[in-house]
Amino acid sequence: MSESPPPRTLGTVQQWFQAVVTHPDGVEGGVASEEAQALIRLPRGELEAVICRSRNLTAAERIGIYANAYYSRLLECVGDCFPLLRAALGEDVFNGFAFDYLQRYPSRSYTLDHLGETFPRFLEETRPGPEDGGPPPGEVGWPDFLIDLASFEWVLAKVFDGPGTEGQTLLTPEALSAHPAERFAEARLTLVPCLRLLVSRFPVNAYFTAARQAEEGEEVPIPDPAPEYTAITRRDFIVRRYSISQPQHALLVALQSGATIAEALAAAAAVSDLDDDALAAEFRSWFRLFTAEGFFQAIE
Amino acid sequence: MNPPRLGHDNLGLGLGLRSVHFDHILKHQPAVDWFEIISENYIDSQGRPRYVLQQIAERYPVVMHGVSLSIGSTDPLDFEYLGKLKRLAKEVNAQWISDHICWTGVMGRNTHDLLPVPFTEQTLRHVVERVRTLQDFLERPFVLENPSSYVTFQDSTLDEWEFVSRMAEEADCGLLLDVNNVYVSSFNHDMDPDKFIRSLPHERIVQFHLAGHSNYTTHLIDTHDNHVIDPVWELYRTAHELTGGVSTLLEWDANIPPFEVLHDEVLKAKRFMGEYLPATPASPEEAEPVLAMSGIGGERAPHPLHHILPEVE
Repeated sequence: MSESPPPRTLGTVQQWFQAVVTHPDGVEGGVASEEAQALIRLPRGELEAVICRSRNLTAAERIGIYANAYYSRLLECVGDCFPLLRAALGEDVFNGFAFDYLQRYPSRSYTLDHLGETFPRFLEETRPGPEDGGPPPGEVGWPDFLIDLASFEWVLAKVFDGPGTEGQTLLTPEALSAHPAERFAEARLTLVPCLRLLVSRFPVNAYFTAARQAEEGEEVPIPDPAPEYTAITRRDFIVRRYSISQPQHALLVALQSGATIAEALAAAAAVSDLDDDALAAEFRSWFRLFTAEGFFQAIE
Repeated sequence: MNPPRLGHDNLGLGLGLRSVHFDHILKHQPAVDWFEIISENYIDSQGRPRYVLQQIAERYPVVMHGVSLSIGSTDPLDFEYLGKLKRLAKEVNAQWISDHICWTGVMGRNTHDLLPVPFTEQTLRHVVERVRTLQDFLERPFVLENPSSYVTFQDSTLDEWEFVSRMAEEADCGLLLDVNNVYVSSFNHDMDPDKFIRSLPHERIVQFHLAGHSNYTTHLIDTHDNHVIDPVWELYRTAHELTGGVSTLLEWDANIPPFEVLHDEVLKAKRFMGEYLPATPASPEEAEPVLAMSGIGGERAPHPLHHILPEVE
């Protein structure tokens, strides 16, 4: 007399189901995979031992609805995190990257808001070498455009829904002017928490603007590499982008890291071609601009 | 004997809050009875979505509806996530918190889908224990929804309605009856949707969901992208009669139309409230469109999860 097999545990069924519906080769590949077979050993064509068929669909067709949904939903969500990159690459090529990304970094979060978090890193990790059509070692090339654009779009998303200063008092130009001149050099500025300072190897902020201004269907050419410095912040719940110079970037990075104004000015001067007088005039206009745009929260 | 709706208010006819309608709602303050939010879109927000929600919660009753609780999963409950739910519920004075009778992933992964459980005694014990635990933690009414599903398991020993009923009774929780999901699952699993609805403990039904779906002839997919079809309205009529009326909410998550279209759609529910309001025949537009497709894999994804996109100048 043969004994019936012990009942499957809920955990076994769930691990098996997940292995099948997330398998990159689809249901057939998923059921045959080592992972799934280790959980529920199923000879080929025996799927109905686990999943019932319906009047209209086979077991494979039914579980295939989940397998199809897993990738179609998540590819769309990754694409929504990087709409400009998706448009630049075209949907099929982008989905190819995103499909591989989901294999390496499947979601482990309760929220879709984290889904794209490691996508720029994934692009960096899988950056093609010269043998795969990428640039020679040490040279900037098209893969870096993709990485920079993905990083840029991810920052936009984070700034949009991250901490901001709406409803709070910011440093006004008047308050900045009123700070005692003799204590200005040693003062420290508190930058708003939503301010992000980016350095890109390609002008992705300018590319973003050009894509915004393009007519529907108009192709925006991928730019040549050129260093670009961008400040991104949020005001009135809208993300704002500022193209800044390298010295401005150096100044803001230093201030953000807690340097005094004098130290930050020195950092900016170190990367500027201007003489001291011209630079002093520039500094005044920069502080007026950054204050007016709400980059600073307080001075102390 | 429990009171109708477990004693919770009938909030009337509500809509799922979607970001494309933020500006319209803030500007016009439409005469909607209440809003339901997708909890995961707001629990971490420190930007406009949270700000808009705070304003809406000042004017309208709000219910929190989640998609990541994964009550059926064999992974441990995520108390960091539950803590965030609890904080937001307090902030917006959520009338209740809901999620689905499903699991979303195991081994730490999230498929972001509402995956089906086998309806067994083992699953029932597992879910009931977890519902009790989280109800103690949330300290707020908790309600579980029947999801749409596309497979059934050989392991199942209970009918879905039997599982849902026993779960609600044994865990002492409320039910969110998604009428469209009953229709979709019943079609997909060759079940009788009317029997499903009649078999539930009606006094435990706290809320209804209504939505549109996609018909692929051989199966239905819960896509939330269209009008509610006539047979679903008829099931709603039955459910309304059996419960005496509970908070009713329309979900629309893809191809989202202008706000007025959504509002008009949920107001159609008044036609099906039996003795409470005169019944009028449904308009012809609710006839179910059949979508052409060949094989599995070309159809729309079920229940697209709403994802708020950034606003950039």
